[in-house]
Amino acid sequence: MREITYSQALNEALRVCLAEDERVVLLGEDIGCYGGIFQVTKGLQEEFGPKRVVDTPISEAGFVGASVGAALTGMRPITEIMFIDFTTVCMDMIINQMAKMNYMFGGKGCVPMVLRINIGAGRGTAAQHSQSFHSVFMHTPGLYVAVPSTPYDAKGLLIEAIKNDNPVVFVEHKRLYNTTGSVPEEGYQIPFGQADVKREGKDATIVATHALVLSALEAAQEAAKNGIELEVIDPRTLTPLDKDTILDSVKKTGRLLIADEDNKTCGVAAEISALVAEEALDYLKAPILRNCSPDTPVPFSPPLEKAYIFGKEELMESVNRLMEYA
Amino acid sequence: MATEVVIPMLGITIETGIIVEWLKNEGDPVEKGESIFVVEADKVTTEVEAPASGILAKIILPAGEKVPVLTIVAIITEPGEEIPEEYLRAGAVTTEAAPALVTPEPAVAPGGPSVDSRASRSLKIVPAARKLAQEKGLDIEALTGTGPDGAIICRDVEGALAVPLEPEAKISTMASRLAEKEGASLTGIKGTGVRGRIMTADVTEAIEEAQRPQLGKMIPMDTMRQVIARRISESAFSAPHVYFFTDIHMDQLLIYRKEILPDFEAKFGQRPSVNDFLIKAVSLNILDFPMLNATIRDEKIHILPEVNVCLAVALPNGLIAPAIVNADRAGLADIVKQRTDLVQRAHSDNLSIEELERGTFTISSLAQYDISYFTAIINPPQSAILSVGKTRDELYLNDGRVQSEKVATFGLSVDHRIIDGTLAAAFLQSLKLKLENPTFTFMHL
Amino acid sequence: MKLSKEKLLALYRTMQTIRLFEDRIVNLYASGSVPGLAHLCIGQEAVAAGVCATLREDDFITCNHRSHGHVIAKGADLRPMMAELFGRKTGYCKGKGGSMHIADMEVGILGANGIAGGGLPIAVGAAWSAKWRETDQVTACFFGDGASNNGTFHESLNLASLHKLPVIFVCENNLYGISLCQTKHQVITDIATRATSYDMPGIIIDGNDVQNVYQEATKAVKRARASEGPTLMECKTYRWRGHHEGDPNQGERYRTKDEIKNWMEKCPITRLSQKIVREKVASKKKIEAIDSEIIEAIEAAVDFAEESEFPTIEDMYQDVYVNERKSQ
Repeated sequence: MREITYSQALNEALRVCLAEDERVVLLGEDIGCYGGIFQVTKGLQEEFGPKRVVDTPISEAGFVGASVGAALTGMRPITEIMFIDFTTVCMDMIINQMAKMNYMFGGKGCVPMVLRINIGAGRGTAAQHSQSFHSVFMHTPGLYVAVPSTPYDAKGLLIEAIKNDNPVVFVEHKRLYNTTGSVPEEGYQIPFGQADVKREGKDATIVATHALVLSALEAAQEAAKNGIELEVIDPRTLTPLDKDTILDSVKKTGRLLIADEDNKTCGVAAEISALVAEEALDYLKAPILRNCSPDTPVPFSPPLEKAYIFGKEELMESVNRLMEYA
Repeated sequence: MATEVVIPMLGITIETGIIVEWLKNEGDPVEKGESIFVVEADKVTTEVEAPASGILAKIILPAGEKVPVLTIVAIITEPGEEIPEEYLRAGAVTTEAAPALVTPEPAVAPGGPSVDSRASRSLKIVPAARKLAQEKGLDIEALTGTGPDGAIICRDVEGALAVPLEPEAKISTMASRLAEKEGASLTGIKGTGVRGRIMTADVTEAIEEAQRPQLGKMIPMDTMRQVIARRISESAFSAPHVYFFTDIHMDQLLIYRKEILPDFEAKFGQRPSVNDFLIKAVSLNILDFPMLNATIRDEKIHILPEVNVCLAVALPNGLIAPAIVNADRAGLADIVKQRTDLVQRAHSDNLSIEELERGTFTISSLAQYDISYFTAIINPPQSAILSVGKTRDELYLNDGRVQSEKVATFGLSVDHRIIDGTLAAAFLQSLKLKLENPTFTFMHL
Repeated sequence: MKLSKEKLLALYRTMQTIRLFEDRIVNLYASGSVPGLAHLCIGQEAVAAGVCATLREDDFITCNHRSHGHVIAKGADLRPMMAELFGRKTGYCKGKGGSMHIADMEVGILGANGIAGGGLPIAVGAAWSAKWRETDQVTACFFGDGASNNGTFHESLNLASLHKLPVIFVCENNLYGISLCQTKHQVITDIATRATSYDMPGIIIDGNDVQNVYQEATKAVKRARASEGPTLMECKTYRWRGHHEGDPNQGERYRTKDEIKNWMEKCPITRLSQKIVREKVASKKKIEAIDSEIIEAIEAAVDFAEESEFPTIEDMYQDVYVNERKSQ
């Protein structure tokens, strides 16, 4: 199978959906002739025209709200917000409108739209362009949230997101856009609510999101040299969350590490910890550990930003700590 | 016995070594302390000495191959000894003592992403361990934690239970069950099964070994031993014991037994033992001397209504004495049946308390040992006990002729608070008469 | 523009339905049958009636928290509407939305919105949707003077005119946000002037003259359907009651009794009914007959609501997500 990048995989997904369903339209800043800030929408405006691939003014509330209105009335918009940080500008449209319509209107406010955003630090883009508060969307009832870590998962989940009738917040990751992986040429869908066990093991479980899935796999390779077999679980979607796969794994290994780039307090890892403590307490052979970003805004200075981002080394520290309870 | 020759530990940082040269050949005799090969590790060469004298029976690792320390490289056998099979297989084998060479990174938080160290500070016991302890009825307070910050972790509970939970436990299911049942510890048991798997025989051997008194060994008193100790002390200290002995000629009884044996066995399917006759005779004797069937309660002498004679049975852990009910009225066949059943169930730990406590008189026999006679301690709350020594051949002068007769010394211990010397003597004398005249005695059958 | 008899009577009926419905809510709210919040539009009926009379059933509206009038004018059924206000299972939103979130997709009501300015972008989206789907549906968006200061107002007008979207922005300028009067929350007097910033027509309308509203709305709708772009209609009007039921406005906290009295004299319904009778479009009796029918319908709605069950705890967990594929 050929190997393509994460952003190419997303591009293919968008192309497939634009081609198959005329209700699909794209909105976002600089997604047209520029091809999107991370080149995800490259070539799409040429192919499908400016009517369907729309460059919007800097009016997040305006065009995200418009996406909601369009979705309510028969369209399937895929709207891009340049960085997750900018969702704050249109939070009302996401939290109060997009997420709630179906519920508030007694099941009649179907909003089949996709909001594409990206997270992650590491490019020196500083505090307002590097955050990862995707837990806010996991926290909001009514929204589906996808967090693909590989090109294969990205394409399959995006196509599913567009076809699904729920409003989806599709969370991509800056540092993953250029990673490569095997991706089928045709369109395919990965259902929401299905985690992927990226590596099996019996000694400890790592539940990781996005770039940390790759770090977890690196850690697993290193741990294996010392005879420690790690199980790496990629939830792929935060809502719906595949609780069963996570719980089964914890019941098997008894040791859990959760790695997520959100700030530690009240992040995705906090939720999964609570979940496991509630439903699998008796199986725990060690405390649940979390590797998350520190509770600070993202610093600019390169050594600080480097310390802010974590990866294999930090995960290994946690793994070793877990194995002290062996 | 074969001795393993290994690459020795060469320093705390050295993990591997290479044999540079063998100084001896396979088959050569070696002396303990003699240099037999040269090893190189970290650019330093060292001569390694033989750990035992004997024959360098097999060189397992030739020179030139880099191996971890403690790898077995040769076997020294005693002259004429065969090389144990396990060393004849190809491939280097590491001794079981090889430590796991894993050093986890010290946790250093750079002030950045935090490894949560708060969690274990107040963690006394991890949830899985707590659950296991509760299920198995272990007192958590009594456990020592070996996890971080003294937390009790699964292996601490498992260790206390001595039944490892990991699925790859190197112990067979049957052995595991046996260990659990007997409350045996599995630590230090050497498995004789495939790849060191602990088998039932290993556990049995370990249990017996544990119970075998040895010099310097500390054996905790189990429940049974504690009970015996307490009761025996009670009896010895509260009942003033007086002892009486007599030699009883067993010839007639033995002949009598031999005579009835085939017909008895044919009819009842069982063989009466000498003890069965003793039980019957004693119970008949008690009818003539009821005071020996008594017990003291609240300063009153209760002469018990039933004659339930106990036979002391020796078990690995101690003595137990179940009672045959109404022995005075029971036919010999019934006595044999009861006795057989009770003894069997005594050995399989299947007696009820009632079967022990209903006894009114006890017979304790060491006849199968070279014991002439002995002073038995009364089985409380009874008042008398009969001890039986070994039947021996002795020369007697009968009517001017020297004859060999079978004689056994019987002892009677009585509680002097209620049984006086003359009564005891009379009882014993009467019993002697009964046993020496079996035909008349056992007419009561 | 001369309106036909049918049209006038229809306008009357719509306005009176709104008025009598809102009147009924006053005491239902006071007695506790309608829980939560109620934002009544008594005095502003002409705007809703006049605009919605120009729309088709397949046109869309978005509206705000004070939307009983807009929703009734667009064709909502009184019974599920009342039931929704009562929080019953049989309400438009199964009791889970309440007064501020009435929606009826079948008649193009895309939901009342509790966020000031929240409905503008959604209306833009609905209009855009029509353009994408190449239909001639139009969308009317109702909002107040307060919302005209919100970022979404500017973003929405800009997007709409940029893409020439078929949306009519209807600003009901009732001179007050909650308690802040217009002179204290913006420098301009006529919100319609903001239209020039977005290169669209901005019309000032007497919001209590239903015919005026109707006329201007007709023009705006025609323009929109012809793909000529959006219009901003500013309807000057006034609400007689407080911002919400229970607002101490009535006690003159931020408005004077005189001011209220003056505006009540400009009652849009009285104006129309007097005109109808005066110009012999219909008799007084006819007017009264219409009134009776309306009252009967409202009472039937109240009965329906009172007899309906509340949703269960299990119902609370429904409709958070869409479980079956509605369309592929």
